[in-house]
Amino acid sequence: MAQNPEGSRRHFLSTSAKILLSGAIGGFSAESGVAAGSALSSPRGKYPIIDCHAHVGIERLAGTDYDLIAPWDAIADPAVIARHAEEVGIDRTIIFPIFCLKYAEANQDIAKVVQRYPGRFIGFAKHQPVYEKGEIRTLLFREVHELGLRGLKLHEQPTPEVLDTVKELGIPILYHPRRVALYEEFVPSYPTINFILAHMGSDQSVDWREHLAAIDLAKRYPNVHLDTSTACITEFFERAIYELPPQQIIFGSDEPEIDCRLQLQKIRVLKLPAESEELILGGNMLRLLGGRL
Amino acid sequence: MSSLVIDCHGQVGSGETWAEKTRWVDYKVELLLERAAEAGIDRTCISVPQNATYAEKNRRIADLCQKHPDKLIGFAVHSPQRETGRLRAMLFEEVQSMGLKGVKSDGHPSREMLDAVADLKIPVMYTPESRDLIQSTSERAERRDYTLEVIRAGPPAESYHMMAMLYPTVNFILPHLGSYRSVTWWAQINAIDLVKRYPNVYVETSGVLSHKYLEMAALELPADKLLFGTYAPELDPRVEIYAVKLLKLPAQKEAQVLGGNVQRLFGL
Repeated sequence: MAQNPEGSRRHFLSTSAKILLSGAIGGFSAESGVAAGSALSSPRGKYPIIDCHAHVGIERLAGTDYDLIAPWDAIADPAVIARHAEEVGIDRTIIFPIFCLKYAEANQDIAKVVQRYPGRFIGFAKHQPVYEKGEIRTLLFREVHELGLRGLKLHEQPTPEVLDTVKELGIPILYHPRRVALYEEFVPSYPTINFILAHMGSDQSVDWREHLAAIDLAKRYPNVHLDTSTACITEFFERAIYELPPQQIIFGSDEPEIDCRLQLQKIRVLKLPAESEELILGGNMLRLLGGRL
Repeated sequence: MSSLVIDCHGQVGSGETWAEKTRWVDYKVELLLERAAEAGIDRTCISVPQNATYAEKNRRIADLCQKHPDKLIGFAVHSPQRETGRLRAMLFEEVQSMGLKGVKSDGHPSREMLDAVADLKIPVMYTPESRDLIQSTSERAERRDYTLEVIRAGPPAESYHMMAMLYPTVNFILPHLGSYRSVTWWAQINAIDLVKRYPNVYVETSGVLSHKYLEMAALELPADKLLFGTYAPELDPRVEIYAVKLLKLPAQKEAQVLGGNVQRLFGL
């Protein structure tokens, strides 16, 4: 029988309840079931392996339709991410909050988790450009300069307020749009910002046409990069890999809902030239982070 | 029993994909065999993508299985609704004369189909999520519009209860642990409960994007209820087999999941 207690339904539910009851990010456990360097790890490359896409946090959605409905909005435990990443030799994972209405508190939590796991995580802020209108510049400057967050995750279309701030700070944006075409509204005006398009344009490959739109977008704009997380239909995933320069592909997983061990394997099995694989798995993200972890 | 690795859910041939309304595919047997070999898969069960009718397509599958008898095992596909009245005769010919080993149902299995299947003693593979449900759920996911209404739309596992109760001698295979790409995560928990309730229902492992539900299934279910599948070449079999290996089952149980169970169920 599998030994991973994380997979047990009872454990899964009781862990969530414990953390929610604690009402604090400090409630996360730091369990680690598998040592680094196991048989599933791979040899070291030129760059660190960086997973660009993971969520961490506890739900702050009381009173909304999303309260305790979906697992990805309810709980995202950094201990799970750390365990999976260590098992396969992922050096750093970029984390940002789960879905909230406003993100100031959740971003502070991310900074605390980064501190709690030294050398494991890199924190990104997350913001809601409409609900936090007028506050974003102040918040983001503080989050980058004082809390040490290194980039921005977005689920909603960025406003000029967001983009001007990001440009000034020189940080990358990981953005998951409703439709890939929405990128066209702002990318041409911000050629110096590095954008990462989440899920190669289509989460869980639910709309294959969005994968094709993402490939075309990246061909038009060298500052657009595709995050490999959750793209699973072989035909479109491989088209992106083989049609685009490796400099525009960035490894991501969407932990803890989507297992980084499998998302890494998805790239490894392609047996790409070593230099391309190393860029995709970490070199490109390192460059977008200014060359430092 | 020898420990063959058998993928119980591969695809070959042309048609519409099962998950999307508008995508036509032509899965090549060469690609399927090449990737299966790379993944360490000895044999693959193949069937065609979705089509209007299936008699001719199933014959192509049987021909391929005759050409690669050590590599391929054929499944027929039929629509209980569009091919009504002809199913019994077609299935008997496809199984007894053409050597196909099971049937994949395009639509909810009917009594006509299940009576024939029970007589032929072959397994039925059926994905109860309609394409419309996947489509609407996916669109909502894109809009982050998961509401109570969607969750109450009903887990697809519910449509298995009547079949599993009334046809206890028929073995049913529920693909993707109940939800392709884990789009409806609650359906995967329901699938585990369904399999616990009925000794004749099995789950297939491919396309479980949220691996934690596969881990949940491996912890809660006996190893003889899990069947390794890949959905290749739509999904990558080299990744799908790794998903089973990541369960870190004891060697004997892993061998059951990877092939032993299918050998027993299909009488190979």
